[in-house]
Amino acid sequence: MSQGEEKDKRSLFRPEISDSDIYEAMKEIPGYLDITPGDLKEVYSHAYRHALDRIAGSLRARDLMTRTVYTIRRDTPLRDVAGILASNEISGVPVIDADMRVLGIISEKDFCSHMGDRTAKSLMEVIADCINNQCCFAMTIREKNAEDIMTTPVITVHEDATLRQITTVLAKNNINRVPVVDSQGCLVGIVSRADIVRVSF
Amino acid sequence: MTISGNGYLKKMRGVTSTPPRVSLSEIVWSWMGAFLGISAVAYLNYVILDGSDMNLMLGSFGASAVLVYGAIKSPLAQPRNLIGGHVFSGFIGVASYKLFHPCMWMAAAIAVATALALMHITKTLHPPGGATALIAVIGGEKVHNLGFLYPIMPAGLGAIIMLVVALLVNNIPKTRKYPEFWI
Repeated sequence: MSQGEEKDKRSLFRPEISDSDIYEAMKEIPGYLDITPGDLKEVYSHAYRHALDRIAGSLRARDLMTRTVYTIRRDTPLRDVAGILASNEISGVPVIDADMRVLGIISEKDFCSHMGDRTAKSLMEVIADCINNQCCFAMTIREKNAEDIMTTPVITVHEDATLRQITTVLAKNNINRVPVVDSQGCLVGIVSRADIVRVSF
Repeated sequence: MTISGNGYLKKMRGVTSTPPRVSLSEIVWSWMGAFLGISAVAYLNYVILDGSDMNLMLGSFGASAVLVYGAIKSPLAQPRNLIGGHVFSGFIGVASYKLFHPCMWMAAAIAVATALALMHITKTLHPPGGATALIAVIGGEKVHNLGFLYPIMPAGLGAIIMLVVALLVNNIPKTRKYPEFWI
């Protein structure tokens, strides 16, 4: 990460606190406080950053993850996969074997990139192609199974992974969700970007 | 980097505002503490010890009173700082006078600067300590004759009396408590 990005991240986490907030807080404490409002604000900003660091280091995958995970098998037909995604309003689903081991993952992106005769990167690209060609590209994957389009090998995190480690994994790999596995490598949950937003401050 | 640029001179403009004024009750209790604290030391000095060659009063106690009765949350006003600041600084002041007194300006400067440094090192920074060190040099014959008794009495003992008054008075109102820490 470059220094500029690091600085942006810092400013993002600056506490939303004004000089008058500090001044009013100081007035609420009886007695003379031997510190200027400016210094107090600076102390507060540093303490806030330490608190964020501590929380990011103490929240673990098992605290954040969704435990009831929809899963599919490698031979699940894609029309069923699409149905699972649609009816549960989710955008990705892990592919597991009989021992709950994660074989791969299928997301909307995987559908997009296997539809039609060229590789689309987004749903909008597929829609644009459909409109221009007046046909449905979904026909090309109609008879295929999960294993034909799943992303594999799949990136997973251990249930002990910290919030910081998870956000790094999501950001570095540009993915929206990551399956959580236990020490035996078995699926125990899934952490999505939405889960992280939910615990954010 | 220029001096007139956005660095050096800009720093002199200040960046923040004065802290809020304290409440009336805070002012009243500060007054009460300072009155009783200085009373105790002064009464012992002028009435009880009258006629003896012992002395308990020091000018720097006026400054200590501001801190230990008027800014009781301040780290500078805590017992460790009050006692340590006066005793260490008194010792430094006496030593500086003994070593450098043929050159009074040097003795005075060394006393205050070294007392300040020692208070920082021992985490006993107490601004009136600087005065205690200075008085050991400029206080005249009566102070010089005390020698190394000076850091114990009047400096240490006077500070202890002020501390006792601070403990008694500063903990009366619900909104005040003293000290923040001992060690």
